[in-house]
Amino acid sequence: MATVSLKNINKTYANGHQAIENLNLDITDGEMLVLVGPSGCGKSTSLRMVAGLETITGGDLYIDDVRVNDLEPSERDIAMVFQNYALYPHMTVFQNMAYGLKNRKVPKDEIQKKVEKAAEILEITNLLHNKPGQLSGGQRQRVAMGRAIVRNPKVFLFDEPLSNLDAKLRVQMRIEIKRLQQEFATTAIYVTHDQVEAMTLADRLVVMNEGNVEQVGPPIELYEKPATQFVAGFLGSPAMNFLDASLNGNRLTLSADVVLELNDPNLPADAHDLDVVLGIRPEHMEACEEAEADFTLSVDMIEPLGADTLLYGYFPGTESLITSEQPGKQQFKRGHRLALRVDRERCHLFDKATGKRLGS
Amino acid sequence: MHDNAVFSHKVLPFFLLAPQLIITLVFFIWPAGQALYQSFLIEDAFGFSVEFVWFENFIYLLEDPEYWNSVRVTFVFSAMVALVGMILALLLAAMADRVVKGASAYKTLLIWPYAVAPVVAAVLWWLMFNPSMGVLPFWMDAFGYDWNHYVNSGEAMTVVVIASAWKQISYNFLFFLAGLQAIPRSLIEAAAIDGASPFKRFWQIVFPLLSPTAFFLLVVNIVYAFFETFGVIHATTLGGPGSSTKTLVYKVYEDGFVGLDLGGSAAQSVILMIIVITLTVVQFRYVEKKVQY
Repeated sequence: MATVSLKNINKTYANGHQAIENLNLDITDGEMLVLVGPSGCGKSTSLRMVAGLETITGGDLYIDDVRVNDLEPSERDIAMVFQNYALYPHMTVFQNMAYGLKNRKVPKDEIQKKVEKAAEILEITNLLHNKPGQLSGGQRQRVAMGRAIVRNPKVFLFDEPLSNLDAKLRVQMRIEIKRLQQEFATTAIYVTHDQVEAMTLADRLVVMNEGNVEQVGPPIELYEKPATQFVAGFLGSPAMNFLDASLNGNRLTLSADVVLELNDPNLPADAHDLDVVLGIRPEHMEACEEAEADFTLSVDMIEPLGADTLLYGYFPGTESLITSEQPGKQQFKRGHRLALRVDRERCHLFDKATGKRLGS
Repeated sequence: MHDNAVFSHKVLPFFLLAPQLIITLVFFIWPAGQALYQSFLIEDAFGFSVEFVWFENFIYLLEDPEYWNSVRVTFVFSAMVALVGMILALLLAAMADRVVKGASAYKTLLIWPYAVAPVVAAVLWWLMFNPSMGVLPFWMDAFGYDWNHYVNSGEAMTVVVIASAWKQISYNFLFFLAGLQAIPRSLIEAAAIDGASPFKRFWQIVFPLLSPTAFFLLVVNIVYAFFETFGVIHATTLGGPGSSTKTLVYKVYEDGFVGLDLGGSAAQSVILMIIVITLTVVQFRYVEKKVQY
C-alpha cells in the first residue's frame, strides 16, 4: 500500500546531457502506471531513479510521503523486475527468491513459508531446486516475478520485463502480470516501448518523449484524444495517418480537390490559412460509394492480416503515403481504386508549428 | 553435413600437419624421452662411464632430505606467488572496473609489467631490494629495520615472491577484469535492491561468478611459479641463502649443470613432468565441470 510522487524531478548526466526535465507524476495506491516512449525518451532513467539505481539531480521523490532521494535502493522497500531477469546464476530458484529476505534477517522458517507460497502462486514449486541456467525464458520470468512478490514490497518496478520473450509467451505473461498486480493491489510502475503492452497493462499511461511527459491519462483517453501529434503517432497500430492541411474556420483544405467541412465548435474560429496536420486512424476511413467519398485511394500495396486488410497508397495530389484498414473478407488487388470517406467525428487536428491538439 | 574434412589426396594431410608435428617431436617429445632415458642412468662427472640403474636415481632422490626441502620451498613459493598475484590483481581489477575517466590508460599501464622479461623484472626488484644500494632497504633502515636477503631466508623468499608475482599481476588482472565486465550490471543492482551491502554483493554475487576465472588463474599461476621463475631466482638469490629459495626447477639446473649429476637431474625433470601433466589434467577436467554455476 503506497503512493509514489515525483516532484520536479531532473536528471542531468555528468556530461551535461539532460535526460529528464521537470518530471511530475503522482501514482496512487494500487495503481499500475505505465511509462511508454521510444528508446532514449527517459522512461528507464525515471524508473531507475525511483529504484535508487540512478541519482536524482534535482527535485524530490516521495514514497508514502517520505522523501527517499537519499535512501539506498534497499531502504526504499521496492522490488524490481529487470529486462534480463538478473537472476543470480549460481543460486537455486529458492535461494534467488530468498536472498532479499535473508539479507533482511527474516527468520528461516518464515522465509521457507513465504518462498513456497510465492512459488505456488507462480506455479514454479517444482523448479525451486533448479538453477536459472536450467530454466526456459518464461520460467526465468516467473522466478524474477517471484523474487519481487516474495518480499511484499510497497512498489513494484518493471523495466521492460517482457521484451526478451517470444511473442506468444509475451501475451501470456502480460496477462499474468496484470492478474498478479491486481491480486496484490500493489502500486506498480511499468516501463515499456511496446505500445500494445502499455495500452493493455496500464491503469494510467504516461507517454514520454525526449525527457518530457507528452500526456498522462487512462489508455483509452490517450487513444481517443491524443494531446499532441507525438502521442497520436505513437499509440495505435497500424499508426495514425498524418496529412498536412490548412484550416480556415471549420474548413479543412487537404489538397486542391479535397476539402473537408468539419463540425467542431472548439476549433479556433479565427483560423485563417492556419498550417495544421490532420490525423486520421486507418480504421476511421470507411469504404463507400464514389458519390459520397471524400477521396479515392489508388491502392499501391496490400497486407492481408486475416481479420483485416491493410491497404497502402498515396493520398491524391500529395506525396503522403497513407494506410487504410478494411475488413478482411473483401478481396483487393493492386491498382484498385478505393473510394473512402473520412469519419468527421474522429478527425484529430494538430497545430503544425507546436504539435498541440486543436479543437475537441 | 560432413563432420570430417575430406581430402582426396592421401599425403596432403600429413604435409599440412608436418610443421606442428616436427616441432612437437623435436622440441618436446625427443627431449622428454631423453630426460626419461637419462633418469635411468648414472654417469660419472667426466663422462667416462655410464651405468643403467633403473630407478636408483629416483630412490636416492626420494630419500634425500635436500630434495624434500626443495619440494617444500616450491610449494610455499608457488602458493605465495599465486595468492599475492591473484589477490592484488583482483583488487586492481575491481577498482579498474569502476573507473570511468581514463580507464584505457589505466588498464594499459597495468598491463605493461607483463611485457617485461622475468629476468629483467627480477633485476629491477633485486636493485630495489639490494641491501647495500637498494632504495627499499634504505627506507626500511629509517624505520630501524635491517634488511638483508643475502642472510635472511624469509627476506630472500619475500624478494623472489614479489618479483615473480609482480609480473603475473598483469596477466591475472586482464582475466579478472574481463570476468568482472562479463557480469551484467543488473545482477549487482538486483542485489542492491535485495538489501546486500557492497561487501556482501562482492562476496556473494560477484566472486562466485568469478570462480571459474579464479580457478583457471590459480592453475596457470601455480604452473608459472613452478616452471617459469627460474630466471627470477637465478638473477636474485641463486637459490640461497642456503637452500631457502631453491625451487625444484632451480635444483634441476643446479644438480645437473653445476653439480653434473645428470642422472639425478633428469630424474627430477621427470617428476616435474608428471606434476605439470597432472596440473594440466586437473585444469581441463575441473575448469569446465566442477567450478561451474
